[in-house]
Amino acid sequence: MNSKWHVFGALLALAIPAAAHHGTGASYDLSKPITLQGTVTEFHYANPHPQLFFDVTDDKGGVVHWSAEFYPNPSQLQQGGWGKKRSEAALAVGAKITITLAPSRAGTQVGAILKLLNDKGEVLLGVGGGGPGEVPQGGPPAGAAPEEKKE
Amino acid sequence: MKTNFLPASVTLFGALLLAPMVWAQGGPGPGGRGILAHSPANDNKPYDKHDLSGIWSRNGSPGGYGGGGTCRDCGDRGFGTDVPPLTPLGQKMFDANKPSYGRLLGTADAAAHSEEPIGRRRAVPPANDTDPYQHCNPMGPSRALIYPDPLEMIALPDRIIQQFEWGYGTRTIWTDGRKPLMDPDEPRWWGYSVGRWDGDTFVVTTTGVDERTWVDHFGYPHSVDMVLEERYRRSAYDVLELSMTITDPKVYTRPWVSEPKKFRKLTKDAIKTVDGWTGLMEDLCAPADEVELFNKRVRDPAGGVIH
Repeated sequence: MNSKWHVFGALLALAIPAAAHHGTGASYDLSKPITLQGTVTEFHYANPHPQLFFDVTDDKGGVVHWSAEFYPNPSQLQQGGWGKKRSEAALAVGAKITITLAPSRAGTQVGAILKLLNDKGEVLLGVGGGGPGEVPQGGPPAGAAPEEKKE
Repeated sequence: MKTNFLPASVTLFGALLLAPMVWAQGGPGPGGRGILAHSPANDNKPYDKHDLSGIWSRNGSPGGYGGGGTCRDCGDRGFGTDVPPLTPLGQKMFDANKPSYGRLLGTADAAAHSEEPIGRRRAVPPANDTDPYQHCNPMGPSRALIYPDPLEMIALPDRIIQQFEWGYGTRTIWTDGRKPLMDPDEPRWWGYSVGRWDGDTFVVTTTGVDERTWVDHFGYPHSVDMVLEERYRRSAYDVLELSMTITDPKVYTRPWVSEPKKFRKLTKDAIKTVDGWTGLMEDLCAPADEVELFNKRVRDPAGGVIH
């Protein structure tokens, strides 16, 4: 990690005091995000935290198994237009991803997902880098009921 | 391992820089709908002050936040900051409860906020906490009411049912004239609740709550002798106010009055799946998903606990 990255990390830590007050925030270090390129091996669209498992090939050609949790729960994903079928299709086994994680403070290969892109650079499940509390985006999927007027 | 920090990190930094500012204002709702702010159009809508039925949300957005943030419009997810001094037994129970919410124990962040009750400055990684809800045990009434996701109240002639979206828990408040059940034979996760009208205030008295539940997310304890009083007041068409008081001499040296909580009314159409199915989501905590899958394969390894 170069000095430029240290400066960025320090600024990031100052920028997100609210993010640390989170049940899972105690496990992950938001001040040291890492970005990995990997291949999906397993995905569970489950409450309260959908889970993603993926493999990363290191510089020596070895495969490292990673697991990660999403901050949004299925209800939030649903309302952001990311239903189970759409999400599972986007994260099918073998899918190539670029993923930014807040890594485990314990140093294990686990993280909380801050940003998730497919091999076309498209944001998946609305996780686009907004951090904990991010509102899943993506718009309603094709065929969804039109927005109804609220009271 | 291939890593690529920049320039994506610059975008991430920008987004995170803005995020707390958004949360501090209550935050946008899922799906980009935005917070369901009070609408002036609702000011003149007729309503019955004794009708509490409908879907109510503390943060004003349909899905709420999963696991974090605060909401200045409605109070945060703690019971209150005016914590009474604990009794020796209460202190022992408090020390045994290890929450994962709040500022991380032993950090500069925690040390910098000595003005906050210690309960909010002692979080540990979820892998090491003792939070009963992390294993899908029921939250109990006060904690469920504090959680920022919606609840639905269903009024029947002799009772009000509270259906909580988070945890999909159900609680019955009897309004058939029965008296509070003091010293019940068997404690219950949701206790025994009765409700009555005191003018335009709906007063709920709950006893017999299983003491394995926590008062709030910060691990404040209670004994089985706790008496929880909730006072609801519908102050506008779309506003419901709640104040709670805990009386529990075994644990607290005086009654503990909550910070006021405020709910906005939602229509069922405000909560919708991608299929267009409206109404409360099923945010059930299923042990098959949470305990057997998430805890063992993600949560615990994240905390350095490998199964």
